Amino acid sequence: MKLFYSFIKELKLSSKSFYFYIEIFMALIFLILLLFIIPNNFDAKATSYIYFDVPKFFSVFGLDIDSLKNEDIDGKSESVEFKIDGEIIKTEFYETEDSRIYVANSAEDVELLAENKQNLGIVIDGKNLLNPKMTYYMQGYESKKMKNLYKLLNNRQSTLAQTKAENQRVVNLMDDVQQLSDKENLIPVFLTFNGALMGMFIISAYIFLDKKEGIIKAYAVTASSVATYLLSKVGVITVTTIVTSFIILFPVMLSQPNYILFFIFLIATSFFSSSLGLLFTSFFEDIMQSFGAIFVIIVGLMLPNIAYFIPFWDPVWIKIIPSYPMIQGFKEIISPQGDADYVLIYSGIFILVGLFLFIYANFRFKKTLTV
Amino acid sequence: MIRVKGLHHSYNGKDFAIKGIDFEVEKGEIFGFLGPSGAGKSTTQGILTGLLQLQKGDVEVAGYNMNKVNNKMFNKIGMSFEQSNVYSKMTAKENLDFYRKLFDVPTREPRELLKMVGLDGKENVNAGEFSKGMKHRLTFARSMINNPELWFLDEPTTGLDPAIAAEIKDIIRTENRKGTTIFLTTHNMWIADELCDRVAFIIDGEIKLIDSPKNLKLQYGEKLVDIEYMKDGEVLKESLSIINKDDIKKMEEIVKNYEVQTMHTKEATLEEIFIKVTGRELV
Repeated sequence: MKLFYSFIKELKLSSKSFYFYIEIFMALIFLILLLFIIPNNFDAKATSYIYFDVPKFFSVFGLDIDSLKNEDIDGKSESVEFKIDGEIIKTEFYETEDSRIYVANSAEDVELLAENKQNLGIVIDGKNLLNPKMTYYMQGYESKKMKNLYKLLNNRQSTLAQTKAENQRVVNLMDDVQQLSDKENLIPVFLTFNGALMGMFIISAYIFLDKKEGIIKAYAVTASSVATYLLSKVGVITVTTIVTSFIILFPVMLSQPNYILFFIFLIATSFFSSSLGLLFTSFFEDIMQSFGAIFVIIVGLMLPNIAYFIPFWDPVWIKIIPSYPMIQGFKEIISPQGDADYVLIYSGIFILVGLFLFIYANFRFKKTLTV
Repeated sequence: MIRVKGLHHSYNGKDFAIKGIDFEVEKGEIFGFLGPSGAGKSTTQGILTGLLQLQKGDVEVAGYNMNKVNNKMFNKIGMSFEQSNVYSKMTAKENLDFYRKLFDVPTREPRELLKMVGLDGKENVNAGEFSKGMKHRLTFARSMINNPELWFLDEPTTGLDPAIAAEIKDIIRTENRKGTTIFLTTHNMWIADELCDRVAFIIDGEIKLIDSPKNLKLQYGEKLVDIEYMKDGEVLKESLSIINKDDIKKMEEIVKNYEVQTMHTKEATLEEIFIKVTGRELV
């Protein structure tokens, strides 16, 4: 009962605090971004500026105006003008399934556009049809692989390349896989940072406030335990995390996620991160003292984001950082064919590690009480 | 009610803030623990209330061994802190209502306690809006919520105006008359003199003496007479001992030859005795 009374009191206090509304506000911001700003899928179309210095009705490397028209989504071009340094550059715009192409009227226009609009510029010189040339205007950051690919594209009529490509064996490891959209792919990151990890910092803020007011000492001389006090804080953070995570998830994903797994994983990650926050707080007297450590922790916890968005960078050590399995776990929860075992195993791990951290934090709080 | 034997405590593992003190506090007693800042008063009280872990020595509080603090012990204990520590975002009544739920024994009515410390009418005001003195009174009231058998008071009248301080002292006396044992930590000798049955002088982690204020005055105090008299049109002041023969002779001479303006006996204060015994001032 003491835990319940402490929890209710903490809930009332948190509803009167600034930090509670920060969490709600952040969740609403994420929701607005997901609903109204972020498109379902990010635009992956490449933009390029081309000038065909080719005799009429001739095609170079399979490229000509007619083939562009054929590939264009609506089968016709649009006139588009660019104003660069006061100069008007006229182009014809074609949009295909995978690219946006602006056909310019001179090689100089292509160079100017590539330089100012920071996209690829191509000049196709087919005056000598026996020996056509392509000039690429790049941005300087293209890799060697990318440059080689452009060279290969120049030879796309090469029978060798075509034969190789056609004979390439492709094996589908999983059939009927429903992938998350780019927007949905962002949700695990938002859930991890707004829910689980914000909780860590909010609980630290609550404890530092209590330390400042001397509340812990007053609690320590009652017939209730310091562990009850700490557990009531964890309870409040868990409730807040569930509310804010639900605000982010439900309006976007509706009934798709496995909500039972979602709540289990939220409780586990929230317990873990709150306990980590408690332990962290036990080493410092006030929030000012802890700034340096908070900064290091924030940077450390951000690293798995890079691995999440750049899959080829996925070193083993990054998987030890707790935010890595948190992001992956939330991804499994919202994915149509999510791996429930992964979520449950990591829920167990987070609970166990969280328990250890909580016991140690409780020991430290009792040990570091001052007079 | 309190038994302390060979108590040591160190904050850094090398230097001892408490150097092997022994004392006992009997049930129903008001025991004053007096000393200047840094003497070891708060450390000792911290160990007795379980806020600091017992490192070395035998300590028993309200029948509980402090080697392993048992939460049940706090049902018998009340603690009023020097620095007020209440929930500023809760009202005075909410503060007390919450704390009464943390004990397993019958508790007192928050309104009754608030009235007792002069906070009636302020029940529904957030503690954050209280003055320092009001917060201090709320902290004091909270320490009585569980009807403690043993009541620790740390500087209970600090920062209070004289009228409120007098009321607080009356409450302490009343509770003591009801049987509450009181452990009073202070550097204010006046309140100790007024309230305590016995006092302990602590300096540099060592108890220099323990006795009742009355015995200390008898043992260490010197009865003096303050006398003001006119000599050659000028008012002169003298403080003369009624034990010292030379002083008695001088007093007779003054009374005989000069016009005495005022004359009254003066008892040595506890503060003067403290300085005499410890060689240190109570700062």
